Amino acid sequence: MAPSEGPVKELDEKCVEMIVKYVSEIRSGKLDGSIKIATATVSLLEQIISDSQNPTAYELCSTVRAVGRQIVCALPQELVAANIVRRVLRAIRDEQRAHANQSSEGAGESLQRLVLAAPHRRATIGAAKDLREPIRDFISELSAELDSSTSAICSQACEHVHADELILTYGASSLAEKFLRAAASRRYRLILAESCDVKESHAMAARLSTAGINVTVVSSAAVGVLMSRVNKVVVGVVAALAGGAVLSRAGLHAVTVAAHHYSVPVIALAPLYKLSPLHACEQHHFNALAAPHTAMPYRSKESAVAHVVAPRYDFVPPNHITLFITNLGGSSPSYIYRLLSELYDPNDYQI
Amino acid sequence: MESSKENIVQAVVIMDHFNNNFSPINKTKPMALFSVAGVPLIDYVLESLLLGGVGETILFCCQDGPKIKEYIKKCTNEKVPWSLTMDVQVIMSETCQTMGDVMREIDAAGLVRGYFILMGVNSITNINFAALLEQHKVICKKDKEAAMTLIYKKVSWEHPLIKNDKALFLAADGKTNKVLIHEKYKTKSNDNVLQLPLDCVLSHSEVKLHHNLVDTNIALCSPSVPPLFADNFDFQTRDDFVNGILINEEILASTLYYTILKDTQYAAAITNWKTYQIVCWDILHYWTLPLSIETGSFYQNNYVFMGNHNFRKTSSKLSRSCTLIEDVLIGANTQICDNTTVSKTMIGNNCEIGNNVTLIGSHIMDNVVIKENCKIINSFIDNKCIIESDSILENGTIITANVNIKPKSKLKGAVIECSEIDNNEKSLGKSTSESGTEWENESEGSGGDEFIGFDKEWSDSESCYSSDSSVQSSLPESPIPEDTNIFLQEVIDSLARGYEEKLKCDYLILEINSSRYAYNIQLHEVNFFVIRAMLSMPILIDSKSVLVTVKDILKFFRPILSNYIKTKSSIMDCLRAVEESCIKCEWLDGKAGQIVHLLYEFDVVDEDSLLEWYDDLKDNESLLVNQTSLVKFFEWLQEASEESEESD
Repeated sequence: MAPSEGPVKELDEKCVEMIVKYVSEIRSGKLDGSIKIATATVSLLEQIISDSQNPTAYELCSTVRAVGRQIVCALPQELVAANIVRRVLRAIRDEQRAHANQSSEGAGESLQRLVLAAPHRRATIGAAKDLREPIRDFISELSAELDSSTSAICSQACEHVHADELILTYGASSLAEKFLRAAASRRYRLILAESCDVKESHAMAARLSTAGINVTVVSSAAVGVLMSRVNKVVVGVVAALAGGAVLSRAGLHAVTVAAHHYSVPVIALAPLYKLSPLHACEQHHFNALAAPHTAMPYRSKESAVAHVVAPRYDFVPPNHITLFITNLGGSSPSYIYRLLSELYDPNDYQI
Repeated sequence: MESSKENIVQAVVIMDHFNNNFSPINKTKPMALFSVAGVPLIDYVLESLLLGGVGETILFCCQDGPKIKEYIKKCTNEKVPWSLTMDVQVIMSETCQTMGDVMREIDAAGLVRGYFILMGVNSITNINFAALLEQHKVICKKDKEAAMTLIYKKVSWEHPLIKNDKALFLAADGKTNKVLIHEKYKTKSNDNVLQLPLDCVLSHSEVKLHHNLVDTNIALCSPSVPPLFADNFDFQTRDDFVNGILINEEILASTLYYTILKDTQYAAAITNWKTYQIVCWDILHYWTLPLSIETGSFYQNNYVFMGNHNFRKTSSKLSRSCTLIEDVLIGANTQICDNTTVSKTMIGNNCEIGNNVTLIGSHIMDNVVIKENCKIINSFIDNKCIIESDSILENGTIITANVNIKPKSKLKGAVIECSEIDNNEKSLGKSTSESGTEWENESEGSGGDEFIGFDKEWSDSESCYSSDSSVQSSLPESPIPEDTNIFLQEVIDSLARGYEEKLKCDYLILEINSSRYAYNIQLHEVNFFVIRAMLSMPILIDSKSVLVTVKDILKFFRPILSNYIKTKSSIMDCLRAVEESCIKCEWLDGKAGQIVHLLYEFDVVDEDSLLEWYDDLKDNESLLVNQTSLVKFFEWLQEASEESEESD
């Protein structure tokens, strides 16, 4: 069963309509933030799977993959959506494998079983048993995981943030904010380097300050000077990439370079749904440009002729990251590949 | 259900321009399907409405309605995002000639429920309409009379969007943002004297003056706007409406407000070729995000970003030796051959560009073939044209669809039209070339400037006269200010009617006098304009023997002439009017002498004034001095007077 080799399945009208609605909601900004997009993707896939009539594993796989491809083409910037599709595809494959094995050990997949799984056992196509029920279970597990991911990460905050430490964070990120707030009991000091969305950074600083944290806002240009005094850098990421690198909002690379220079540990907060099996060669993400008014106002005479290049993302190499904090706990960048192979099937890396 | 329907934001998009700024391209292609950076305008508009939270859109088409309906249907079948969440209605009305007509139609049909957004199809923006409309509603709560909030984008005074369009002078109450004065003027005209009435400053504690606003052609309207248009049938454009309300604020019981967009928001209207080009580049430079060159397509990443804001569709083929300098957009399946240089140019789909071609600042639509060694600078080439080798196109050359340009042709600021569209051999379609002198002058003027832009002076065709195109064409652009222009138009109309229906001249005098008071015209101006009107009558244009007709007209209007042209100064007014008419009206070309002779025969003018006028002409170096007919007439006059002196 290798659907990536077959042609993409045609989707029925109702399905296409749902996808278009989902895409237009994300594009128009009604769904904002990765966690919301992830939840929306899960519910979209759940809807589509339960709508499909009496499917085999293969059919289900092709449908989900076709949906995934549509989403990836329409929203190339939203890596989270594609990750969720990969997770669901993996679940279908596992379920099918379990049926093919006729194993009665129950649904709990373990690492050992994956490693020990002999290739010949994958070859047989499962009996015509309704796969939707166990997949629905998996999806509800997945949404529970999404719901709990933030709290799971925040619960580790006290392990990493200690009293009297000087912590630096870059820009506004809802996850970093919650993480830092969870560590508020530690009486640490926080430096917040403002990113290009100055307003949001300031708002976040104000909220943290009311939560009783000692916050200093600095311009991102001052990070290099301050870094020698900083104990830890804590940042949220856009995506954790396959090699342990990070795709982040523009400007973070400068911060991590400074941290690397002073050997300050950098902690990247990456919930599991942000783990992407992509490598640094994906042009579209690294070349994506943001609106130039973040760098220069439109009103000037020169703006009509000048080329303003305002990149949307930064690529932070794996050696700049000390630790990823996922729902499952801390893991070093070199361990990301292991997490990826646990989460996704290699067949689905390319949707 | 009712309440939920009321919460849906409504937008009215007017799909026509009502001017000829994009002539002759807009004859065959509706404005809505005009391609801006590779995407039809309508896609930008619908997408921006969708992103702005609009739930229901009314597209009001006056021309080419079926084409737009078809396009919308096609989009709905393809399930373009807006088709699912937004209700799009296409309304057609062939009878509407102006924006005012459209609003009256909307009022009559009761299309809008309450507050709505009014915009033209030429606006490209990424604003949040719903939020702005809420803001307008808040204003309306404070001021029950608020009719409209105008939306402007603030830029620097020298920004090309302002430089290439009518500039706007706006005075407003500093506290409430209520508009007090709204005036549009040409940036290039010399008499930039703006008047600010004293009471405007005295009656408000704080007055804001703006001269650097870009009109986005978007307005937020209260439910009272369509009825206002219906009540005031002389409102033809939005500017008429604005001015009418500001002048008659008390009578109409309406007020206007304005709002300036934040720095993060982009809005601009495409009003002429130059703004077209600027907006194209702004889109390439990402200023309009989330609107971009990929607007309208469900799938993204159709373009390969090549650095320096060069984009090409994945299916395009570029030669290794071709150079893309900056701001280039290349459509699907387009092929570019060796040693070709492209800069600041949009190229459509399925084009073929030969070797050694230079393309700068041009807009090339779909299926165009450009053979080798061509040089195309600041030009617009429509679909399916073929430009043969070694051609040079410069300075705002505009070529309509299906034209074949011969090898080695040199075009500067020309408009090439395919004259026989039904011709079976389309490639042989005759090309008529109109030398665009005004463009050349313009381009020389800005020769020192950077090469950007179509060097086309925008033509200011006031839509209010477009109903009578023949009369309009008889009045080439003149520096006559607004009111007097309207007055002249009215005099021409009443004289023409009087002449046709053989009305009594007394009535016509009454009519002229009443218009005179309506527009507050000085007496000497009345004299001037009456003569001008007589010589500009619509019948003259088609008449074969102009002089006979002029004679008839003068004979018929004899009583009017004697009513106005009595004193010496009025005679001079009359002669000056003759002078201007002869210069401006082509049908009177070379006939100045005869006309003066006719006036002399009818005893309207006397000898002394004639001679004095002739001296004036010489002093002013008027164009007429050397006209043979006039020279002959004065020779004859001299002789006649000498003879009469002798006979004394």
